Order: sequence, then structure tokens, then C-alpha cells
Amino acid sequence: MKKEITNLIESGISITRRSFLKFTAAAAGALAFGVDKAKAAVKWLSPRKVQKSAATQLDKDVKIVHSVCLGCNARCGVRAVVESGKLVKHSGNPYHPYNNRFEPIAYKTPVKETLTLPSPVCGKSQDMPNYAYNPYRIIKPLKRAGERGSAKFELIEWEQMISEIANGGKLFAHLGEDTVYPGVKDLNKDDLIDPSAPELGTVRNGLVFIGGRDQNARKEFSDRFVKDALGSVNRVGHTDICGIGFRMGNHAFTEKQEVEIKADPFSAEYILVFGSNIYEALQPGVNCYAATVAKRHSEDKVKFTIVDPRATHASTHAENWIPIKPGQDGAFAMGLIRWILENERYNKEFLTAPNPKASDKIGHACYINATHLVIADDKHKNNRKFLRMSDLNPAASKEEAIAFVVLSKDNMPAAFDKVEDAVLDAEAMVKDSSGKEIKVKTAFRLMKEGVMEHSIEEYAKLAGVEKSQIEKVAKEFTSYGTRAAVTQYHGAGNYISGTYASYPVAILNALVGSVDRKGGYMKGGGGAAAWNSGLYDLKDFSGKKKLQGPIISREKFAYEKTTEFKKNGYPSKRPWFPFSKGGLCVETMSGIDQQYPYPCKIFISYFFNPIYSIPGGYRYVETLKSREKVPLHVSIDIGINESNIYADYIVPDVTYAEGHYGFLTPHAPALKFTGVRTPTIEPLTGKTADGRPFSEETFFIDIAKAAGLPGFGDNAIKGKDGKMYPLNKAEDFYLRAIANVASGAKVPEASQEEIEFVEKYPAARHKDMLSESEWKQVSYVLARGGVFDKRYEDVFDGEKHKFGLKRVVLYNEELATTKNSISGEYFSGTLKYITPTTPKGRVIDETDRDYPFYLISYKMNVHAQSRTVWHNWSMEVFPTNFVEVNEKDAKETGLKTGDKVRLVSKSSPNGITGKVKVTKLVRQGVLGLSHHYGHTQLGAVSVPVKNAKTVFLGGKKVVDKKGRLIPNPRYGTGASMNYVARLDEDFANTPMVDVVGGIPDFSSTRVKIVKL
Amino acid sequence: MNERRLFLKNGLLAMVGVTALSKTPKAEAVAGIKKYGMIIDLNRCTGCQSCVVACKAQNKTVQDKFNTKILTLEDGNYPDSRIVFTPVLCNHCDNPACVPACPAEATFKLPNGIVVTDWDKCQGIGECVKACPYEARFIDQRYKGEMGGKVDKCDFCLNRLEQGLLPACVEACEANARLFGDINAPDGEFSEYLKRTDLKVRKPEKKTNPNIRYVLNRRSRKGGSL
Repeated sequence: MKKEITNLIESGISITRRSFLKFTAAAAGALAFGVDKAKAAVKWLSPRKVQKSAATQLDKDVKIVHSVCLGCNARCGVRAVVESGKLVKHSGNPYHPYNNRFEPIAYKTPVKETLTLPSPVCGKSQDMPNYAYNPYRIIKPLKRAGERGSAKFELIEWEQMISEIANGGKLFAHLGEDTVYPGVKDLNKDDLIDPSAPELGTVRNGLVFIGGRDQNARKEFSDRFVKDALGSVNRVGHTDICGIGFRMGNHAFTEKQEVEIKADPFSAEYILVFGSNIYEALQPGVNCYAATVAKRHSEDKVKFTIVDPRATHASTHAENWIPIKPGQDGAFAMGLIRWILENERYNKEFLTAPNPKASDKIGHACYINATHLVIADDKHKNNRKFLRMSDLNPAASKEEAIAFVVLSKDNMPAAFDKVEDAVLDAEAMVKDSSGKEIKVKTAFRLMKEGVMEHSIEEYAKLAGVEKSQIEKVAKEFTSYGTRAAVTQYHGAGNYISGTYASYPVAILNALVGSVDRKGGYMKGGGGAAAWNSGLYDLKDFSGKKKLQGPIISREKFAYEKTTEFKKNGYPSKRPWFPFSKGGLCVETMSGIDQQYPYPCKIFISYFFNPIYSIPGGYRYVETLKSREKVPLHVSIDIGINESNIYADYIVPDVTYAEGHYGFLTPHAPALKFTGVRTPTIEPLTGKTADGRPFSEETFFIDIAKAAGLPGFGDNAIKGKDGKMYPLNKAEDFYLRAIANVASGAKVPEASQEEIEFVEKYPAARHKDMLSESEWKQVSYVLARGGVFDKRYEDVFDGEKHKFGLKRVVLYNEELATTKNSISGEYFSGTLKYITPTTPKGRVIDETDRDYPFYLISYKMNVHAQSRTVWHNWSMEVFPTNFVEVNEKDAKETGLKTGDKVRLVSKSSPNGITGKVKVTKLVRQGVLGLSHHYGHTQLGAVSVPVKNAKTVFLGGKKVVDKKGRLIPNPRYGTGASMNYVARLDEDFANTPMVDVVGGIPDFSSTRVKIVKL
Repeated sequence: MNERRLFLKNGLLAMVGVTALSKTPKAEAVAGIKKYGMIIDLNRCTGCQSCVVACKAQNKTVQDKFNTKILTLEDGNYPDSRIVFTPVLCNHCDNPACVPACPAEATFKLPNGIVVTDWDKCQGIGECVKACPYEARFIDQRYKGEMGGKVDKCDFCLNRLEQGLLPACVEACEANARLFGDINAPDGEFSEYLKRTDLKVRKPEKKTNPNIRYVLNRRSRKGGSL
């Protein structure tokens, strides 16, 4: 009998407590204790029975879907338990490396065998039922029914909305507005925006789309509409607020090849953490990066140091916490570098290998240009550029001409690929074939000159730390060979002048030679297979537009190419960012506000809440209110937030439980896989007449058709078989994309049992569009939530990362020859300490001296961006946030935990109010304030939406008898730093950004504390 | 009587063989009496709250009350300071203070070591809540007993154990800081940890003999918030 019970449990057949107890009571119990005692023993009522605890994956009649989370951007896997069509529980996906500290179960394991395996996922993901079923979600299309910002909205029929947005016209005449609103059709023309400035492109660029939570392939779906079908350059992401600062350093370091590079948590022995919240945020997220580091810490296999104004949660296990002054990561890194240079603790072997072959020979997948010569000669036409063989010999063959030049051991110039070992630290005069001398310096020398501009004491003072701390950390960092690396993230450089803070942080890894070596500073390994090509071509279509003109943010476009420059020279009206990584939502918003370099006509904000999410975003209230600056505003979102209360239309969207199909490749470091997100439940939004859910995809398909744009509708997708296929619903695109991945990755066909498992997935409803064999391969992928056929070890060739970087630089030629569009001066191509400075040269530390405290924000482990107040369980854990004040500052100012205070800045005299928490975990002179709180919408207040019972998912649960929305004040607690952040008075009082990369500033705001 | 109750309900759950607790599940013969316990390594806990949310998601405890939570401690003196996390839950004590405290005889210890509350008997008197030195019990006012609500607490996710699954908090623990197993027949990493001589329990002076043990945070002066 005992055996029978065990077998039952092992076979995974669901037994409820009651049935189990009955069974045991009747049989096993009788055997052990006699019937009477056994009956007595089982008569108790468990609270779980009453509270209706969530179903588990082994319960009868539940569906399991393996998919990918979107609680944040980290891309972990999920195992969703769906009971009677309702999502009840998330845990991790046992096949996904991110849920298993890089060591998932073998990819070929049958799904059935994995269901009992524990597989963790973080709290954000586990809160998904509260997010997906949030009663304040909107499920029907809305049209403005009052002034912008009045939050008066009313229902509009889907088809009517599509027609209005496609055609434009006097759309709000019924409100007494005589304005003619532009429609998408009006922009489907090739007229120039400004015939006197043709470089700005055509009127197509008047449509501006900014995307918030947007991953592959949804991102490409919106690209297809905005860029390919309509022909606007303006599909902009939000890399800037996500964290472009540290990315700019990597961008310079890798010559734009890669911006996501991190210490390998699985094999590193020492990690130096700059502005990276490795235990609370990051990508890979807390259930991967943090868990891996923490477990290895417990085994004493890794040590790490945190450089951060705040003792993050990782301080719990850290070797050192260096409470650095905000905005001074660069100073600290430069101090470390100076110490490393002076004590010759750098990896000379790696630095002196001048080409890929020489570097490979000594065990490196990538090489560095430390020994390459740079022309340092004002009069030379190629000054600031690398010396090339053509500079020495104009008659050099085409192939030889472009070769870089190094000094060989005997100090003779030689092509970089002809020697194995070159001179590292030198300045020289070399002669060209005509006998003319050219002054040159090695890249290493130029970097060193930059570093030597300040002493270690000065760097320590700038960083607000002790000199001995720099020395200690430098010594530790250089004591682990190539098993030491940096993990830098948002905090390292997300402020003005941040490029020159994160560049030295990146270079630290080059000095120890750990770039793309096991345990070193590594990029990700990429996807398992392409999703947009193969069986079906999801990139190209007939009638696809060619883009022209600059993005309204002026990213990746040189000011010198504009008519404005030819007329006015320097300075430009606002900065241009030719060297930026891009994704500048802040400067896009400011460009819209200033109608510069051209005006916006239609603004589509997708899951994007600029007023809440951008430091100083409150400035854009004025922008979004203005019908001149934003003639038509369409928001695609799941709720009414602080920004889309100014919209003209709100298109309801699905959450990632119901859509957001995606192909999620790894973040740095190391791995190679493609996670596949498909819905876990049916859409909760309303439906079109032909049964498609209201969502971003349905919107774009229908608008494209109504406005006569190509790439959508019948015959939009070309198959490898030469046939044409339709794009009339989201799955027409995404299911074919999964077929591309499955066939590209050459996965086997799924067993019958696994096909049956997958056929319970919502996506399986559309399987008929695929051939039987395609579906069998697709089922293999979907059953496992993606393609995870490579182990950690598989991405290495010995110590070398197979998919790593090929080249990194101490001197970046492109950056060195790019000019600041305000000052007209060249940017430094190598390291240089730069005080955080606004584009017009203001040093906030000096101008805002009367505001004694820095204010910084950070992410919490249970929250992500702007909508996670809907994570009800997390909100029970942390019902609000606090103004975190260092205990010494608290003593001096007489503040106590619980005191109510107002924080005011020069830009925001009304500021924000919050409650004090006295702490030892934030630097003296700095106030910490977590993000995520301080909402004024998303259900925190009532909004005068008509037909609220139909509009909101919660229906009558959140609508009173008079039809008014009943708010939930729990969503409105706390404060947000963004509402008090510093603006730039030199540029129309818009949010402050950096002049090189367009980096928004999260670290320079200074505030006063006013006790209330 | 109350003392006796600890042992009387020797039922049948003792026989539930919890399989698949580790990543390499192996068939284990159901033998002897099980005694469940947990070891929490504070050198692994990142304070991520995943366990806390997992418990909420699984057990649907009443709003703002928790079967498990994470205590935080600010250790050391600034700037030589750090945060220290200590996950806490019901200790499923060998000598639980809550059991004899209950006048309604609603709370008792299962032979597998798990302390549970019988909601058929619980009247919301609250004596057990007061008696527990670990604040592991609370009243759920959504349901009514004669004297108020009903008392809730951690039950190691008994319903999951019956299915061969780990407690929700253990499954959700990303760094494997929470190690769960049968103290009488330990297996895998749990067994290795059980051999350690540096394990601590909360408030040993209360003589409750807890079955949740801790490895203290070695970087912290205080080691944790026991």
C-alpha cells in the first residue's frame, strides 16, 4: 500500500488532500493505526482548503505553458500554471539557464519528466496574476472626451477609431475643437518636410513612435509599420533611460560592436561592481545573476566589491562597499587605472599583442589596439586618426594601405598584422615615403596621458573616497589574473559626461586581459537561430520604404551634414549625437517639444510613460498638452497612466500573459539561446468584429490596411516555397517566426505526447497555418519554451568565448574625430576625466550648491519600471518607498525615521514629499529613493472615464453605482525622484542630457530637505 | 491533553514519501517517520523576496500578513556597513509554544514535524499568536471563528509536499539559500548542511527546539536577525 501511494505521487497524478486522505484513511491508515484512530487523525480542516490555495503543475485539469517572462527585460523563463483558463502561478522554466543558475536540465529531457523539478523565478514574475488580471486594466478603445489631461475618455468602436486615426480630420469637432487632426494617410507622401533642408527627409518622419516595454519580435513588428511600411525614421526605443551611460563606455570600447558586457558570474573570481544593482535588478536578473553570485559566494568561490552611493542588497555578501559620490564612477576608475599603470599590474602580454592572430596565440579571443599608432600632429590631414600604411606610403597596395601601424621591438614602424609583439608605451616621429616626419603616439600612451592628468589623491577626492580604498581595490582587482572583471550598469555613467565615466570602467577589463575569456568581461553568445528569416521572410516585402533623414532625437546623425550647420555653424540649437548608441526617448520628447529639427505630427506612445519614467519628465506635461507640438497622440497601453491621460486615443493592449510573442536571446555574459514567448492565457481585451484581440499588432495591421500601406494584409509574407502568405493577425507573423527558429536551430520533431502538451497552449489555436512537420518542430520548441541546446561550456573554446568580441580599443578613432555640436570641439578619443557638465558647460555641483543633498533613485527587487505597483503581493511586502537619509546626516539635520519631508530642487520648487528612513546604507550627503512609487494614475485616483464598467477589466468591482471608478490608494503611495529631477535651463528647461551620447541624468540632481 | 495531542495525530502524513526534492530525484522507499526541517544559509540569501511572493501566490494568505518574510538588519557602522537578510517562517518546533496555548485544541503537530491549525476547531482566540515567540502566526479576518478570525501560519506547503513538490518558498529560492528535507533521512545538499556544526536556531533560550536552522552571514558582525 505504501508503495502504491509513492507510485501515485511519483507518477504525477494529481491527488487532492481530501482524496488522498480518504484513500489513506481507508487503507493505509487502517493498516497502521486501526480504522478509528486513522479517521480521527484526518479530520482537520486545512486553511489552504478554505483559502483556495493556487493549483500546482501536478494538479488535474491544469495546463502548463513554458514561456518567457516580461516582468522586466531580463528574459527568464516561466512555467505558467493555468487553471480553468486562468493564470494562477508562475515558477521558472527548468530548461532555461536563467532559472537554473546557468545549469538547466538537458534540452532533450521529455517535458513530463521536468514538471516536478523545482525551478525558481523572481517575485516580479510570480506577481503576474495580479498584473494580468488587474481591475484597472483597460480592455476597450478610448477616445478623449474633454480637454487633454482631463482624463475624460469615452468608448469608441474599434473600426471607427481605425478610420479616424488613418484618415484624420476634425476628429474632436463635437468638443468644439475646430482643429484638423492629421491622419496616417496624410503622412504617406514623399513631400519634403522642408525643401530648403532636404536632409531632414519627407513628411513620413512626422510619425514618431516611442516604445517602452518592447522586445524582439514585437519591436520588429512596430518597425514594420513605422519604418518599413510608412517610411518614418522615428521608431525610437528607450535605451537612454534603461541605461545608456554604461553602454556608451562599452560602445566606445568595442567600436560600436557591443554595449552589453558583464563579468561572468559563473566563473569569475573577482567582480568589481559599478553602479549595478546585481542583487535587485540587472539582466540576467535576480534569479540568475544574483543567485549565481550568491551561491558561489557561499562556497567562497567569488569575491566582489560594490562601487555605489548606496549599499545595495549585494552589500550583504560584498568584500567592500565603496560609497562613491554620485556621478564619479569615472574618477574612481581612473584612480584604479593610474595605480595599475604605476605599479605595472596590467596584462602586458595581452596589451602588446597587436593583431588577432598574435592575441589568439596567447589565449585571447579578442585583441586590443593598445600598440597602434595615432597621428598626434595638428598639421597632418589625418590628425587624431590612426596612422595607416597609406600615410607612410601613398603607393601602398589597396590591401596594405588600410593597415594600422605599430612600432616593432626595434622601434621601426610596421603593419600591425606583420608583428607578434609591438611597443606599448611610446611617442615617436615616423617618416613617410617623402621623408616628411609625422608625430605619433601609441593608443596606450594617449590613454596614459589622459589618466595622468590627475593624481590618485585627486581622483580619490573627486570620487569622495579614501586613496587607500582605490589602492586596495586596484590591488584586489589585479590579483585574479583574467578571472577578474567589471559588471557595470545603469549607475555607472547614466549622467552628464557619463561616456567618460563608463569608458575607463570598461578599460579596466582590458588592463587585466579578461575580455571575453571565461570568468572575464563577456558579451552574450547570441540567439540559437534567426527568427525573421528562413522558412518565411519576415524582414522584406514589396513596397518596403527606404528611410531618410535624422531621427527627431538627432541620434546617429552629424550636425555638420545639416543645412542649419551650413547657415549657422556652431552651436546647434540642441545637441546632435552622431556617436550615440541611440534609443534616445528623452531627446525625442525634447525634440517634439522644441519641434527640432522638425515638428512631430502623430505621436504613438507604446507602453511608454515619459512623464513618470524620465528624470524631469514632468516637463513634458506641457508638451503633451500642446496640440501644436503633438497634433495627434495615440497611446497603446494596458492602463491609464500619468502620460496617456493627455492622449487623444488609447488603444488597449494585451499583457505578456496574453501576447508579446518574442524571441529572447541572452544578455551578456556568455550563453547562446533563444527563449520563445507565447501567450499563457487567451487575451483579456475586447475583440474586433472578426474575432482578433485588441492589441498593438491588430492596431497596426488595421491602420496599415486603412491607410493603404504595404507589408500587411493578404500576400504580405513570402515563403521559402515561393508562395505568399497573409499578415492579418499577430500569429500570422509570430507563428511563422517560431517555425523559422525551430527549423534554423534544427530541433527534432516533438513526440506525440509533447505535441499534445503544446496543443493546450493558446498559440496552438493557429497551428493550421503551418505544415504538419513545421508544427512538430515548433511543438518541440514551445514545449520547452525556447531553444536551449547549448550548455555554458559549449560557448567556450578553452578559455576563449567563441562568440565574443574580436577587437577592443584604448583609443576610439570615430569618437576622436566627432565634434561636440554645441562647442564645435572634438571629443576625446580616449580616457579623460570630465566633471559632470551640461552641454553648455554648467557644473551642477557649483550652480546648485545651495541644495546640499544629491538625490539618487534605484530599482527594487520586486519591481521593474512604471507599472509594477500592480504587483499586489509585492506591494504587501513594500507598501511604499522612503527618502533614505544617512544616519550622520539625519543626526545633523534632526531628521528621524517616519518624518514627513519635502524635497525641492532648483528646477522643481514644489518638489516631492515623502517619508524619511534613517539608514547606514546610503552615502553621507546622498538621499536614496527607490523608483516605482509616487504614481498619480494607474488606478491610484479616480478618473472620469465614461462607460467605466465596460472599459476597465475589473468592471463593477472597481466602479461605483454612479459609474465612477473606485480608486485604490495603495497604488499611489510614496514618491518618485523623477518629479524633482534637474532640468537644463540652457535648452528650454527640458530634462538634462549628456552631449556625447544623449545620456539622461540620474545622478546630478541636488535637493534641499524641508521638514513638514 | 495538549501535550498528548502533539503525538496523537500520528497519522498518515508520516507516510507521504516526498520525492523529487532535489534536482536528481531518485525513488526513495518510504521508511520510518519523517521529520521535515529547513536550513537557511544567509551566505546565499540575496533578500530577493521571491520566497515571500511565492508563498503569497501559492497560499493566498490574507493581505499584509505573511507565512514567511525576510527580516533585514543594517549591520556595522557607516561606511563599514552592509545589509543582512534573515528569512523567517514558522519553526515547526519540537516543543511548540503555540500548541499548548490553544484552548480550542485547534493547533497540533503532525508526526512529520509540521505544526498545523485545524480550521474546523480554530475560533480565532489568538492565544497561539501571542504564545509564539517568532511571530509566525496571525489572524485571517476574512474567515470567522467565534472569537474573531481564523489563525493562519506556514504549513511547509503540505499540499505541495503531498504531490512530491517542494514548499513554494523553497522552489522559489533562486540561490538555494533555503534547503528543505527530512531530518530523519537527509539527502543531497541538505544532508551535507545538516552535518555542519555552526548551525543556529532562533531564540534557543525559549527552548522550543526549532526545526528551521541557520548558517549565519559570515561577512556580518551580528550574523543575522535571529
